[in-house]
Amino acid sequence: MGYVMDRAGFAEVIAALLKDYRIFAPVRKKGAGRFTDVDAVIYDEIRDAGEIELELKSDYAPKEFLTPLSETLLYFTEDEVKESDFDERPVLLFGRSCDLHSLRRLDQIYLNNGPARDPFYERRRKAVRCVLIGCGHSYDNCFCVSMGSNRCDDGYVFSVDLIDDRIHSNVLDGSFIKFFSEVPGAEEKDVLPRFVTENDVKVEIPEEVPREIVRSGLWDEYTSRCINCGRCNFVCPTCTCYTMQDVFYSDNGRAGERRRVGASCMVDGYTDVAGGGQYRRKNGERMRFKVLHKISDFKKRFGYQMCVGCGRCDDICPEYISFSNIINKVNAASREVQA
Amino acid sequence: MMNGNPYLPFASEILDVIRHTGKEYTFRMAFDGEVRPGQFFEVSIPKFGEAPISVSGIGDGIVDLTIRKVGRVTNEVFERYKGQSLLLRGPYGNGFDIGLYRDGEVVVVAGGTGVSPVRGVIQALSEMPDARDKHVVVGFRSPDDMLFREDLKAWAEKLQLTLTVDGAPEGYAGNIGLVTKYIEGLPLKDPASARAIVVGPPPMMKFTIIELQKKGFQDCNITVSHERKMCCGLGKCGHCRVNDTYICLDGPVFNYEFARDFVD
Amino acid sequence: MANLDVNVGKLKKNAFRYSKVRGETASRIRIPGGVIDASSMSRVVEIAEKYGTGVINITNRQGIEIPGISLADMDKVNEEIQKIIDSLRINQTEKGKGYPSSGTRNVIACPGARLCPFGCYDTTAFAQKMENSIYPNDRHVKIAFTGCSNDCAKVRLADFGIIGMTEPQYDKDRCVACGACVNYCRRRSVGALELVNGKIVRDAAKCIGCGVCVVYCPTRAWTRSKEHYFRLVLLGRTGKKNPRLAEDFIKWADEESILKMVKNTYAYIEEYIDPDAVEHKEHIGYIVDRTGFEEFKKWLFDGVELGPKAEVNQRPYWGGRHYDRYGG
Repeated sequence: MGYVMDRAGFAEVIAALLKDYRIFAPVRKKGAGRFTDVDAVIYDEIRDAGEIELELKSDYAPKEFLTPLSETLLYFTEDEVKESDFDERPVLLFGRSCDLHSLRRLDQIYLNNGPARDPFYERRRKAVRCVLIGCGHSYDNCFCVSMGSNRCDDGYVFSVDLIDDRIHSNVLDGSFIKFFSEVPGAEEKDVLPRFVTENDVKVEIPEEVPREIVRSGLWDEYTSRCINCGRCNFVCPTCTCYTMQDVFYSDNGRAGERRRVGASCMVDGYTDVAGGGQYRRKNGERMRFKVLHKISDFKKRFGYQMCVGCGRCDDICPEYISFSNIINKVNAASREVQA
Repeated sequence: MMNGNPYLPFASEILDVIRHTGKEYTFRMAFDGEVRPGQFFEVSIPKFGEAPISVSGIGDGIVDLTIRKVGRVTNEVFERYKGQSLLLRGPYGNGFDIGLYRDGEVVVVAGGTGVSPVRGVIQALSEMPDARDKHVVVGFRSPDDMLFREDLKAWAEKLQLTLTVDGAPEGYAGNIGLVTKYIEGLPLKDPASARAIVVGPPPMMKFTIIELQKKGFQDCNITVSHERKMCCGLGKCGHCRVNDTYICLDGPVFNYEFARDFVD
Repeated sequence: MANLDVNVGKLKKNAFRYSKVRGETASRIRIPGGVIDASSMSRVVEIAEKYGTGVINITNRQGIEIPGISLADMDKVNEEIQKIIDSLRINQTEKGKGYPSSGTRNVIACPGARLCPFGCYDTTAFAQKMENSIYPNDRHVKIAFTGCSNDCAKVRLADFGIIGMTEPQYDKDRCVACGACVNYCRRRSVGALELVNGKIVRDAAKCIGCGVCVVYCPTRAWTRSKEHYFRLVLLGRTGKKNPRLAEDFIKWADEESILKMVKNTYAYIEEYIDPDAVEHKEHIGYIVDRTGFEEFKKWLFDGVELGPKAEVNQRPYWGGRHYDRYGG
């Protein structure tokens, strides 16, 4: 069932939904960018439809709800360990097609890698229903078509497309129809979310990346170009690594907490082992480790590609390193090896 | 709240503390579950963190954890004494399949704290009927760094033990030299079908394997145990991944034919 | 050549230079904030070719000087620069007559936040606003704006130096303790950050508000304050007697207060300038040396209400070389 309404109508839908759901969506934060008077689009809990950024690609990914950058898992008192609380109310998580595809990758690691399911992830995941933001056009650096994540025919409760100042929604989940049908002025109409069918950026990934590629010279330039800041990982919708952090409260040394914080395989410390050992000191090696995970190692283990082609890593890289370009370099180098 | 939350540690009593060196103690912990040599536990010190520690011994209702004091967590562990408890998670990882080493010639090469994960294996070898075909080469940095001195004495009685140190003060009577030096001279009848286990710091493992290959060992008969930054033990945090392998889930014990392709 | 009878005082006030080449002058173009539109620049080129020698000087204070103009052509040049004056929105008393004063020097600015990653505010815009608030004025006052504590504009050589600041805002929930801010603050700035218990602690007293932490934070745990803040430094100068760097006066100052204080300065100068000063020109710093800083401060603060964050250095002390006292 589809509906078309003006922004005021959509605001009513959101207002009604907010009674039952917590809503997390991309929000354009004024001045929150790196540089003065530059905005950043970051996920946040919204209280009003007007906060939802429907036009710009978000700088950071929706994973921030499922795997917060910093999340307390356990609280310690003198002789007790307590799990952190969680607001169990259902959540609507807004995301574009690539973002919805990324959830399968997060689930893969947190729920289906090894025998244990991650309960802190699972309680968040269980609460989530997705809302699809349609893509009327491809954005800078997007290569979702190459990665096959440009479309999603299910996995969302309703879609939102802002076209000529009107909201077009395809309501897939029948239980959500009531939020739309009673909005004054909402037109019932066949609506299909918009999907991108072509990107300027295209990548080709070899079916199997030959092992020799790790010794290729193509990684070397990144040893000097990359500044190992980790932005590419922090914005990536499919990066899942974290680091455990234990702290004791400064005002009461007997109590403390164990939290996990986002980790990046590009940042120093990621491979440190007890006693001072470290693997992959060079940034070129780290780049190789990251890139091959996204386009080869993950697939070897789970049967499908990790990267969804959102291009956020390219959008944010302060050194103008293009991940999609590296993929194509790997492809070319692979052909050379195989030839 | 959460059923069987794998992140929640359990308390285990410290039954004994055995001091090997100033920096290396074995904590004998109460533990009733199933566990194999080569597996590891996450030792959890609330407010300080967790550290992956290999199982260095297994007995009735006990596991031994040999811990080296190298950081925030292990410093704190060393403050604990007999009768107190430690919080543990685990055991994690695959561990060694002792059955593989029952028949035929076996060479175990271990360096430093790398002895811990194979201590149980060596113990089992020493009790096997053909223990004289089991060779163990153990190296420590110096005589003061030696671990499991009592075990070493007992093993020397039963199997072919070569004990060496990288360096020693003048007048030291034992072997001096890296473990790699002693591979070539091992009196093996049939290296091509003999099995080997190699555990230790990465450079030591690398050069030991080269020596074993020179001696005629087949890659598929070599077993290695990889220590990485094991953090969650559950295949989630990502720190220990190499290629498409999660050391904490799929290892840390690997057949070298597989592990030789690891690229860090 | 016709005989020359030129009022040199008027010529200087009209922003023409008294040149060492007899019969010649140079026309000075005021470019507040250092930004000039390309078509005005083309006009400068035309004037230089038509009335000058085809050469353009870039001045030390971001202005332009067209040399080699005949004193006889001053009126024509004034007519020709009118479009430039209009385009740069310079306050003027009479159209077609050029610049009404030159005492208050061109207000300079580094590229600031329009271009520079470290710029904490739009330096050009503030400079233009300042220009509009104080120009025209005959009093010799130098004002300079710089986007951040790097002070690329060398504002510490001006009477009023305005240094951009941002108050870093920390969202601990977005911090992953990667250490980038601590590292870069230590290496590129003053080392005001420390990792404590897995989160960052900022030494607010040490922090200079340069924004390096914000630039290097990969997760937006550090962001800039909504308010733009400034460090106001006072009375730096070059010159023969006592060259010295400007001293800190107010940390975390606001735009409005700075505009007001600079404006107030003119009344103070009128009151205290040495009536016998050579060419009626005396740097404010020397006036303050005479009246004492307390008196100057009283005038500065007239009607000024500083924001709640402002920290005032009540007794700045200026050093520098005293050639006038101890010789060179």
